[in-house]
Amino acid sequence: MVDFLQALVDGVMLGATYALLGLGFTLIFGVLRRLNLAFGPTILVGIYAGSHVGLAWPGALAAVMAVTVAAAILAGIYVERCSFRALSRQAPVVSMISTFAVWMQLQELVSLFAASRTMPYPSPAWLPAVAAGPILLRSDALLMWSGATAIMLALFVLLYRTRFGTAVRAVADSSEAATLMGVNVAAVGAAAFLVASAVGGLAGVLIAQSQQQVTPYFGLWATVKGLTAMLLGGAGSLSGAVVGGVILGVVETQTLWHFGGQWRDLAAYALLFLVVALSPRARGEPSL
Amino acid sequence: MLEVRDVVTSYGMIQALKGVSLAAREGEVTCILGPNGAGKTTLLYTIAGILRPRSGSITFEGRELAGTPAPDVVGRGISLVPENRLVFPQMSVHENLLAGAYVRLGRDRARVESDLEAMFARFPLLKQRAGQAAGTLSGGEQQMLAVARALMARPRLLMMDEPSLGLAPMIVEQIFQIVETLNREGITILLVEQNARMALSVAHRAYLLEQGRIAFHGTPSEVSANEAISRAYLGIKGG
Amino acid sequence: MSDYVVSLLVRIGVEAFVALSAYLLLVIGRISFGQQAFFVIGGYAAGISTALYGAPLPIGIIVGALAAGLAAALFAGAMARAGGIYFAAGSLARGELARVALLSFHHQVPVGADLTGPAGADGFRGIRALFTSGMSVTAYMVAIWGLLALTFLAIALLLRSRWGEAIRMVGEDETAAAAVGVRVGRVAGLTMVGAGALAGMGGGLFAHYATYLEPGHADVMLGVHSLAYAFIGGLGTPLGPIIGVAFDIGLLESFRFLAGYRMIIFGGLVMALLVLRPRGLLDEVTVHRVTRRLAGRRA
Repeated sequence: MVDFLQALVDGVMLGATYALLGLGFTLIFGVLRRLNLAFGPTILVGIYAGSHVGLAWPGALAAVMAVTVAAAILAGIYVERCSFRALSRQAPVVSMISTFAVWMQLQELVSLFAASRTMPYPSPAWLPAVAAGPILLRSDALLMWSGATAIMLALFVLLYRTRFGTAVRAVADSSEAATLMGVNVAAVGAAAFLVASAVGGLAGVLIAQSQQQVTPYFGLWATVKGLTAMLLGGAGSLSGAVVGGVILGVVETQTLWHFGGQWRDLAAYALLFLVVALSPRARGEPSL
Repeated sequence: MLEVRDVVTSYGMIQALKGVSLAAREGEVTCILGPNGAGKTTLLYTIAGILRPRSGSITFEGRELAGTPAPDVVGRGISLVPENRLVFPQMSVHENLLAGAYVRLGRDRARVESDLEAMFARFPLLKQRAGQAAGTLSGGEQQMLAVARALMARPRLLMMDEPSLGLAPMIVEQIFQIVETLNREGITILLVEQNARMALSVAHRAYLLEQGRIAFHGTPSEVSANEAISRAYLGIKGG
Repeated sequence: MSDYVVSLLVRIGVEAFVALSAYLLLVIGRISFGQQAFFVIGGYAAGISTALYGAPLPIGIIVGALAAGLAAALFAGAMARAGGIYFAAGSLARGELARVALLSFHHQVPVGADLTGPAGADGFRGIRALFTSGMSVTAYMVAIWGLLALTFLAIALLLRSRWGEAIRMVGEDETAAAAVGVRVGRVAGLTMVGAGALAGMGGGLFAHYATYLEPGHADVMLGVHSLAYAFIGGLGTPLGPIIGVAFDIGLLESFRFLAGYRMIIFGGLVMALLVLRPRGLLDEVTVHRVTRRLAGRRA
């Protein structure tokens, strides 16, 4: 029972970062109706940049985080320009294919500048672990959860309480009607992309400080987590993406506890596969 | 107030508007009649800045409008109630109205709030449904929401595209009452309608658009007096 | 012919099968990032049948293709009607699922003095049927290209047949295809099975050339590259994906000074091409124009 609860708590904490990735995916997909498969690799660029700063100036945690987010945003701008703005007149599927071409580039780019495949990432070591009865809250997990929750709250305020948020949700709901209301759809799309990249970079900081290392595989990993969280939540729903992320986190940690490490990824991919195969929307969706 | 002169709009190779000229006078209701595919929606979309005219000029309050991007057109005081309503289906009624005020949401939030109250007073039904997702409203309720949403931008010219489409006769009656009320309050209205009889009953001036050209224009009584037009659009047997 | 050229040609030939596999799915309007799953399934099955159970090499390749086709049938059964991003996401999951599953797949049996067979993360070593058969690597390369030529012809003929008509219609518009009596589910499903078998054949051929396979061969980059090959070559002809492979591996990889930048350059080329020619170099219109001109000259 304690094991189950511990895994549940760990899952919720991990899931909070998956929720962030899912929100980034949903923002871009919702507003542009296009899938950004290079979302994970843009975060990868951020984390590698942060890792370099961490190696050069040990202890400069704030600088590491700032550089991580900034580099993720820069990579995001690159993706937006090349795969979305330049292709806005083409079918959405062309953008999706272009994003994996960018993905190849970003993945090779980080390996070019990295001394080894696995790069270290600093973690705030001074934070203590907290014990709540028999449940242990590791400091890095606690940081993931509290950081992700704060970012989500800020994001929801931005989307539900500001003029920009009204525009974003209006475009996501009906871009034609939004145009009629005087919304500059292209500009809102680019801005939403920027916000999503920043959210992705922040999620990258939280995840990397918990894992304390990063490999080029992180790009695919983050894309799959975000995609799963988004699709679990119903593709396009913001609160759905949060729920989807938490479900994914809990499924992973429960599998880890009960069956062992090698089953964890298997369960995550099987979950994505099941969502896609069983989703009622999969059938009705017009060819993207 | 609005002057459209020799406007040509094409979709690729196909000319949808082949040199259309018309005028909407301040304080009047101007209606555009015509069969399906005549180019009525294209004309409204061209004025709204969603489509760019290939040639011709559009002036609004004396200033050129052709080529102005859609967001700026709304800012200059022209709102469109689109065909089939196009409400934001996932957003609540309240959020739809806020989205309607998008162009002035940043600078006069206080007036937006008071306009919102006024809109709820004008359409009590929308107030009852304020928190409901717009996609769950009935067709007539959605049409009212679409009108209210367009009014939230405080337009001086309101364009309406087929507001009676697919609605029960009683609701159509209500919609046209709203059109008359708005016009009496000083809003200039450009109305595209299939329901010619209803449209002519509220209009001061009517244009007939056929195959991308203005085929006829005049006052409602002149339109009714024209035997061919009456037979085609009003269903009145000649003789 | 130098060993290097032979090895290059083998790689081009093998990856062309996976690219053709991705191409067939593009023709029915589906984006797959997961054809590498069928590549490794075919490779493992072919390797198991020759190395563990002593099947001759050609039988092994056939078994590999059949196994991959069966796996593709199971997948198609789960998502035959799913389209758009759902199919793409499902294929991504499938590819990774295959890789992760192979990490814990152990099936070793004693062959002679050694234990042979898939050994989880350590991979599957000792697939030696090619070398014990006495066939030279050059002859094997020629055989691969012969098979590839046959496959190309078969696909080209298929796409011109009534079936091909149906396949194209499904790719254009499923509702319209169904409206004129095309059995969309069946056409899409069978195409997916055929595409899976093709990738599996590539896997079997590769496994016997390399003598080993490992879960890492199901890396997502193989699937992503195959899709890119199919796309940049063009949707107009099955020659497109083969040109795509030859261009990337033959040209970019053989320039040694590009070694570290290959994916950056290739990715950039794909991106540029998508802006300029969103349906690939040899799109339907170009292919049609060229065929008409050739036909005109002959007449």
